[in-house]
Amino acid sequence: MDGTVGSSGPSGPSGPSGGGTIGGRPSGWLAGTGEPGQPMLRWSSRARSIDEVQEELGRIWSSISLAMPGEEGEERRVAARSSVMNLVVVAGRGETAERAAAVIHGLMGRHPSRTIIITPADPDGPSWIDAQVQAHCVLPSRDSPETCAELVYLTAGGEAGQHLAGCVTPLLVHDLPVTVWWPGEPRLESVGARALLRVADRVLVDGAGWAGDGLERLATLARLPARYDVEVADFALLRQSRWREAIASSFDLPRLRPFLGWIREMSVGYAAHEGDAGMTNVVKPIYHLAWLASRLGMVVVEPLRPSREAWGGYRGLLRVGRRRVTVELRPIESQARAGTTMEVNLVARRRREALEARVTGKADGITVATIVNDAPMPDRHYLVGRRHEGDLLAETIEDDGAQPLTADALAMAASLVGKAV
Amino acid sequence: MTTTRDLASRTRSGTGARPKLSTDAMVPAPAAGARTIREERLAREGRRPRRAAPASDANPLRKGLRLEKVPDPHVMVVFGATGDLSHRKVFPALAQLWRTNLLPQDWMLLAIGRRPFDDASFRAGVKASLREYSRVPLEPAVERQFLERIAYHRGDFDDTATYDALVERLKAIDDDHATAGNRLFYLATQPSAFPAIVAQIGRCGLDHEVHGGGWRRIVIEKPFGRDLDSAKRLNREVGKVFREAQVYRIDHYLGKETVRNLLVFRFANGIFEPLWNRRYVDHVQITMAESIGVEERGSFYEETGAARDVVQNHLLQLLSLVAMEPPATFDPDALRDEKVKVIRAIESFDRTGVERHVVRGQYGPGWVAGQAVKGYREEAEVDPRSETETFVAARLLVDDWRWSGVPFYLRTGKRLPKRATEIAIQFREVPHRLFASAESDPEPNLLAIRIQPDEGIVLRFGSKVPGLGLDIRTVNMDFTYGSAFSTDAPEAYETLLLDAMLGDASLFTRADEVEAAWAAVTPILGAWLDGPGPAFPNYDAGTWGPPESDRLMDRDGRRWRRI
Repeated sequence: MDGTVGSSGPSGPSGPSGGGTIGGRPSGWLAGTGEPGQPMLRWSSRARSIDEVQEELGRIWSSISLAMPGEEGEERRVAARSSVMNLVVVAGRGETAERAAAVIHGLMGRHPSRTIIITPADPDGPSWIDAQVQAHCVLPSRDSPETCAELVYLTAGGEAGQHLAGCVTPLLVHDLPVTVWWPGEPRLESVGARALLRVADRVLVDGAGWAGDGLERLATLARLPARYDVEVADFALLRQSRWREAIASSFDLPRLRPFLGWIREMSVGYAAHEGDAGMTNVVKPIYHLAWLASRLGMVVVEPLRPSREAWGGYRGLLRVGRRRVTVELRPIESQARAGTTMEVNLVARRRREALEARVTGKADGITVATIVNDAPMPDRHYLVGRRHEGDLLAETIEDDGAQPLTADALAMAASLVGKAV
Repeated sequence: MTTTRDLASRTRSGTGARPKLSTDAMVPAPAAGARTIREERLAREGRRPRRAAPASDANPLRKGLRLEKVPDPHVMVVFGATGDLSHRKVFPALAQLWRTNLLPQDWMLLAIGRRPFDDASFRAGVKASLREYSRVPLEPAVERQFLERIAYHRGDFDDTATYDALVERLKAIDDDHATAGNRLFYLATQPSAFPAIVAQIGRCGLDHEVHGGGWRRIVIEKPFGRDLDSAKRLNREVGKVFREAQVYRIDHYLGKETVRNLLVFRFANGIFEPLWNRRYVDHVQITMAESIGVEERGSFYEETGAARDVVQNHLLQLLSLVAMEPPATFDPDALRDEKVKVIRAIESFDRTGVERHVVRGQYGPGWVAGQAVKGYREEAEVDPRSETETFVAARLLVDDWRWSGVPFYLRTGKRLPKRATEIAIQFREVPHRLFASAESDPEPNLLAIRIQPDEGIVLRFGSKVPGLGLDIRTVNMDFTYGSAFSTDAPEAYETLLLDAMLGDASLFTRADEVEAAWAAVTPILGAWLDGPGPAFPNYDAGTWGPPESDRLMDRDGRRWRRI
């Protein structure tokens, strides 16, 4: 084990501020006073096997005194470990790991977790493990004890990188839920993934970033809950909460609410770029339709089929009771990121009345424009900005994965693409 | 510990251990409610049941959203809108609700006050208050949207013309802003104005709930009366106009996260409730300490004092939440039924009992947080010979099956060394001293619930000190809210205002509850009036109250917890 200096922890000869550097990085306990709310690196050491990582994790908490020098020389308490879950991040590349670490860093004060960021490397070479073990601490307020959480950067080379569960399972804190965050392109059907998903309670992905149209992987994602008994969360769906709030709020109006049972057409316009309209990721627009259809009790009659024309989008047919509802995903040429929702349109006809609602989004909010019987109603503006990955991850943690909306929408999305679960 | 951000069923819960997806969770949800038995049978026969359109009173799109129920469109009418409470607490709380999209789009605030403002100048004042007191700063566009929904109506509260004009103004707002005839009246005035305002609202018919014409509710700030008789009188006056279900008596303490979490802590965790009784609990201490003095409220405080200002409402509410039996449901009345039973079970005092079990005090000059501070009698608008108490400590007994013989020690005061509100459950000692040879005795277990600041829960227990000897040391297991959850918790007023808009009265005080609390406190106030004048001041600012407070505990062989 490459480690800390000598016995190196605060109880060692070098005291609380002891520690040296390894490869330019500090090791052992690190002194310093952070600002309240700001996470601070307090421990760093290195390990070359899973056993050594376990030892280092134990050493963080067993070999220290629970006191650190504070301001003006007085001692202040360091809290024991605080964890609400195990967070396993499968990062295909180093930069993905860095980005995930930055997001997690921002959440440490709110949701302290044991985080393991695992990056498989050099699949054809010999097996090896290289790990950086860190403890980050946050001072909730000036006179409170610190709250500390552990972060392990684990690079697994060769065949070890194919056995993710084998690397991760020994490092999990007992009795705490396990969330697997798989940014980028998750290989959900791989052998390594299967074993990892069996130990997971929750899987978190971002369907909007997948290559191609994303539909095949969306269907795979929808099958995970039944296959592995896991909760599934998708940032692509969570991000749309401002759209859902705005659309639902519009139908809170007693004048408009009755139209919900009489929807005849639903369409979603999404950004596409010249030349690749047919291969745009449509996970986000499908989620809009899936949410509406699942909440309005619709069933799929004809799944969405791509048009033969380059800019034809996708069309399908649903029904609610005996009424048919046509659904459409429509590409709109735009500079926005491909697959971004541009508008959601609803058409309802109820007896002699008709409603058209057009919902559009901007960075700062969502606007709902409604026409009832050819008479425009005042536009309704919902000022809610776009949310970042940190907010979405926090929401997933706070909801404890209990997202009935996600389960319903995901199942309906799978039906919409003809892969009902 | 299981917690929840929101106790009321209005929001989707997101708590507890890992919830599992059920098989039918994967089936698209029906539009509005489950299938009928007939629909179920037809479906099994492969026949297509006719499905009715969703009921117009339920929005299926709300299912699973952050807020499953939102307030109906309405006008909130604030009396006393130019006052300190409105600007410091009410408007910032409403602005936060607006910022987080918890208010309906079709919502208006009609501010009523005596001062000569128009809409624009009043909004400017609110804008300044928001800048100063908002918990989270508002984006300019959000602030503009919020301010556009505020209108000002000038008038005297006892002038009939004010209310006649108000009727017309509200009709116009309904027409212009689709507020659907729903009204939430909010009384943020001096308590002396309550009866006149309520009577005028009744005279104009603004209290009438018409079928299809909207609801009417009234929120009344504390203090609700100044003794049992006046509380009954006020309840009678309010009751002449509003039904009890329309009345929301606010005690902002009940909106605090930790206070609400007390219910979750007690009734969602199986391990504590079996210990929560006279068999295991030695005594309970409830402390609400303030380091500040009376600030700008000298004249108000002169008429009120600590017993009326804090004991009758905040402390008795906390006591009732600690001591109540589990309600059968989380229905507002089920909860309040249990609370009121506790308050009624508090043993009342005769004059001798007051002398023995209640201590009052008033602060003199002293030092708080390193600064010299004036005594109470030197404060602005305070009588130099004032006999108003700024400190109360009391030993109460809740005479019921669960708590008989367990003292509840209550303590509150101004100009104490620090600001802290805590509830401490002191458990009994172990029955047998197994470790009699240990170098130190284990202390009895203690469970402390910190309400402010640093909301959290501490469990104290004994642990062996590592080594060859047998030394037992008391250690704390400390749960701090801020370290486990988002610190972006709503202010109490945000919670309570939203509840009133949603028609959820769980966290508001019912008429019989108010009267029961006054019935517990009024004999103390009476004994003080009948007895000799107190020897005030009797404690220095910056200390934990008069020495009699410690003697109250000493007599029982106990001591106040060090906070």
